[in-house]
Amino acid sequence: MNNQKSLMLTPALIGGVIAGALSGIPILNCLCCLWIIGGAILAAYLMVKDSPTVFTSGDGAIVGVFTGIVAVLVRTVLEIILRPFYQEFAQRMLERAAEWAEEMPPGFEELLEGGAFESTVPRFLFGLLVYAIIFSGLGALGGILGISLFAKKIPSATEGGNDVSTENTSDRQS
Amino acid sequence: MTNRKTVFLVYSFTLSIIIIWIALIFLAPYLKSRSSSLNLLIYAACSSVCHQIPSRSLHVFGYPLAVCARCLGIYLGFLGGTGAFPLVRSFSNLSLPKTKSFILLSLPMIIDAAGNIFQLWRSPHWLRLITGLLWGLILPFYFIVGLTDFFLRLRKHKNLRL
Repeated sequence: MNNQKSLMLTPALIGGVIAGALSGIPILNCLCCLWIIGGAILAAYLMVKDSPTVFTSGDGAIVGVFTGIVAVLVRTVLEIILRPFYQEFAQRMLERAAEWAEEMPPGFEELLEGGAFESTVPRFLFGLLVYAIIFSGLGALGGILGISLFAKKIPSATEGGNDVSTENTSDRQS
Repeated sequence: MTNRKTVFLVYSFTLSIIIIWIALIFLAPYLKSRSSSLNLLIYAACSSVCHQIPSRSLHVFGYPLAVCARCLGIYLGFLGGTGAFPLVRSFSNLSLPKTKSFILLSLPMIIDAAGNIFQLWRSPHWLRLITGLLWGLILPFYFIVGLTDFFLRLRKHKNLRL
C-alpha cells in the first residue's frame, strides 16, 4: 500500500493543479464541481497508464482525495492572487445584468459583490477546511470513476470475486 | 466487523451526507428570507462547487438555491441513486457499473452543457435539472463501492501488519 501511495503522488499533484486552476479562474469555473471530478479522473488515468500494478476502486478513492486536497490549495492561492480581478468581474457582470434585466432577482447584488465575506484568519481557515472536505469527497468520486474507466480489469473468473464475502471487492463491471 | 456491515456503514454514511447536503441547499434561501446571517456560510460553502449564477438557479422563498439547477439535479440524482442502491445492487454485490451505462447517463448532460457553453441553445431550468439528475443517478454506485473497497483494503492491510 505504501508503494502504491508513492505511485499516486505525482498524478494527484498534476490532476490537483489542473483542477484547482480551472475551478478557480472566473468564467472557466462555470463547470462547477466537474473540474474537480475531471482532475481526479485524470489523476487516476495517469496513475494506471504505465503501471503494471492492478489498482482497485479503493486506490482511485485515495488518489482522488489527494487530488482534491491539492486542488483546494491551488484554488486558494489563485483566489488570493485574482481577488481584485474577481471583484471587477463581479461588478461588470452586475452592470451588464442590470442593463438587460427588467427586474433584478432579490439578493442578486449581494451575491455578486461578495462583500459580505470579509476575510479574517479564522474564517479563512474554516473555509479552507470546508472546501477541503467537499473537494476530497468529489475527488474520491472522480478517482473511482477514473479507475473504473481506465484501470486494467481483474480477470473475471468464476471464483465469485464480486461478492463482498470473498474480500476481493472491486473493479469488476457488472 | 463483517464485510456486509462495512458496506452498510459506508452506505448509511453516504446517504446521511447527501441528505444533509441537499437540506443545506434548500436551507440557504430559507435562512436568507428570515434574514439569518447563517445563509452566508451555506452560500459560501456551496460556492466552492457551483457558480451560483441566479439566472441559472431555481428560486425558493424568493431567493436562489445555494447551487444551480444542474448541480441540484446531480445531487438529487445522487440521492435517488443512493436510495436505489440496496434494491439494484444489494449489500453483497460490490461490482462497478458498466462503462456503457456511465456514458449513456452522462451523454445528455455533456450534450446539453456543450450546447449552452457554445451558445447553440439556452436550456430551461427543467432540462438542466433532468440531465444533471440522470448523471447523478449512477454516481453512488461508484462512490459506495469505491469507499467500501478502500475500507476493506485498509482493514486487510492492518490485519496483515498485526
